[in-house]
Amino acid sequence: MTAIVLIVAAFLLLLPFVYESRNLLILLTQVFVFSIFAMSYDLLLGFTGIVSFGHAMFFGIGAYSMGIFMKRFEPTLGYFLLAVLTTIVITGFVSFLVGLLTLRLKSHFYAMLTLSLSGLFLVLAEKWRTLTYGNDGFTFRVPELFIDRTNFYLLCMVVMVAVFLILKRFTNSPLGRVLQAIRENEQRTESLGFHVLHYKIAASVMSGVLAGIAGILYAISLRFVNTSVFAMDITLDALLMTIIGGVGTLVGAIIGAGLIEFAHHWLTELAKEHWIFERWIIFFGIIYILVVMFFPRGIVGTLSSISWKRKKQHSAKKEGKLAG
Amino acid sequence: MDLIMNLTLNGLATGMLIFLLAAGLTLIFGLMDVLNFAHGGLFAWGAYSGLWIYAKTDSFVIGIVGAILTGFLLGIIIERWIIKPVYGNHVQQILITLGLMLVLSEMLKVIWGPNQLTASPPDYLKGSWEVGGVIIIKYRIFIILVGFLIFAGVQFLLKKTKIGLVVRAGVMNKEMVQALGINIQKVFMFVFMIGAGMAALGGVLLGPYSGVIHAGMGMEFAILAFIVVVIGGMGNFKGSVLAAILVGLSGSFMAYYVPDLSLAVNMLLMAIVLIIRPQGLFGAKG
Repeated sequence: MTAIVLIVAAFLLLLPFVYESRNLLILLTQVFVFSIFAMSYDLLLGFTGIVSFGHAMFFGIGAYSMGIFMKRFEPTLGYFLLAVLTTIVITGFVSFLVGLLTLRLKSHFYAMLTLSLSGLFLVLAEKWRTLTYGNDGFTFRVPELFIDRTNFYLLCMVVMVAVFLILKRFTNSPLGRVLQAIRENEQRTESLGFHVLHYKIAASVMSGVLAGIAGILYAISLRFVNTSVFAMDITLDALLMTIIGGVGTLVGAIIGAGLIEFAHHWLTELAKEHWIFERWIIFFGIIYILVVMFFPRGIVGTLSSISWKRKKQHSAKKEGKLAG
Repeated sequence: MDLIMNLTLNGLATGMLIFLLAAGLTLIFGLMDVLNFAHGGLFAWGAYSGLWIYAKTDSFVIGIVGAILTGFLLGIIIERWIIKPVYGNHVQQILITLGLMLVLSEMLKVIWGPNQLTASPPDYLKGSWEVGGVIIIKYRIFIILVGFLIFAGVQFLLKKTKIGLVVRAGVMNKEMVQALGINIQKVFMFVFMIGAGMAALGGVLLGPYSGVIHAGMGMEFAILAFIVVVIGGMGNFKGSVLAAILVGLSGSFMAYYVPDLSLAVNMLLMAIVLIIRPQGLFGAKG
């Protein structure tokens, strides 16, 4: 398993130097960005059992912070870092507030409040025209370092790997273990003496900040930002990626992101052939419903449980032989 | 005076439309513990199918009936095939209803095209009356009347009939109702069907009111309906009508005086309710 991961990593690392396709590079950059976003979502859904329907809000805050800083001030690395800092502060604060308000209640409330809050941010981005230029959005220049597509590709890849490792460490830490215990049985965790609310808020803040970082990278890759970053579609993307890839596994989120982004790309190409492919999202909606109903653990979860069963059968056979 | 009257009527009409959506949500939630994120999709389906039938038959009444029937049918299909298999698992339920919302609104675009459609009320509901210098638009009064009729009808159903008794008992304690030998699954389906029908009715009434319909309107109204459900108390039918009127009125007045803040005010109201009374302004149980 590790060997496969290393080979894929080496392949992705060398790709921009060997194969010069701008489109593929941009597509892969998108995959990395959405992998970060999907992993941040998975921390909530897969590891803590919290459903958020407004994750686009944090993504959008990141994208707009970066866009506004680059547009209003000079596109230098200093302002880039300032934008990152602003994103972390705002997303941290908003996710903390949302968590504080709703996480002590039933799981529905978090889903509802995030859904409506992200609607509010969408309206805010439309109406606050002096800052956001309304619906049309605006283009901006990026720091020199990121103008080169290869550099930016490598940056996104490094950030994705870093986020993966951080989340791996985070979910295996004592805190992460408590989060998984909350997912399995909230009452029991509470009665074991853990203050469930604090842990849930910690997960919410972590997830919000990481989603904001994904938004930053998204804005830089497009060099353009408009209100669509707050749209429901972005949240739906994260949902599709985590659910289809496999909840509760970080690798699943990455695989899901790759799958959806590539499928999106190909199906949009196919739309020239037949108009039904313009509505490609409907196929994914149906697949999504089927996955939730029949394979609630997604691709990665289902595959790993199959291979686990096989191993078990295999070892059982061995034991049988020994006994016989 | 003219202005305040008009804003009030406007707010009441919008409130009634939100009520039609929120009432189903809150009933379904109270009884089945399912928060149906696809409810906005049913609302939009009601609008499209109802207005399509209205355009074909040239009769608004048949359009309304058609929309309600579409709602019933979709409600039965959704409850039976999609929600029933995942009863008891909250996370799965929430996820599946959102997926359903996606499929429902994309289906609309496949069938009727991605562009918005226009709609206008039938001749006998067009125009306005003038009462003592105040201009009253007929269609708004029509919506308010229908809303109150539906409220009274559902209230009668809940309070005076056998099935209403079972529903109210089910909201309090499902297991007990089942233990008394009542098939609660059938009651679930009935309530889901009624809820879906009301949402579809709301959708078809909205069409001529706003003039245009589009596939995204389901989500827009669903957000308002969620706010209403939280303010009124989850599972509280009476609370939902009061909260819907409150949200409709505040929306209409704010939209006139401070247009940019109209959604924000409702959100703020919801946040305050969540902090101080999470069981809802009109709710008794938590």
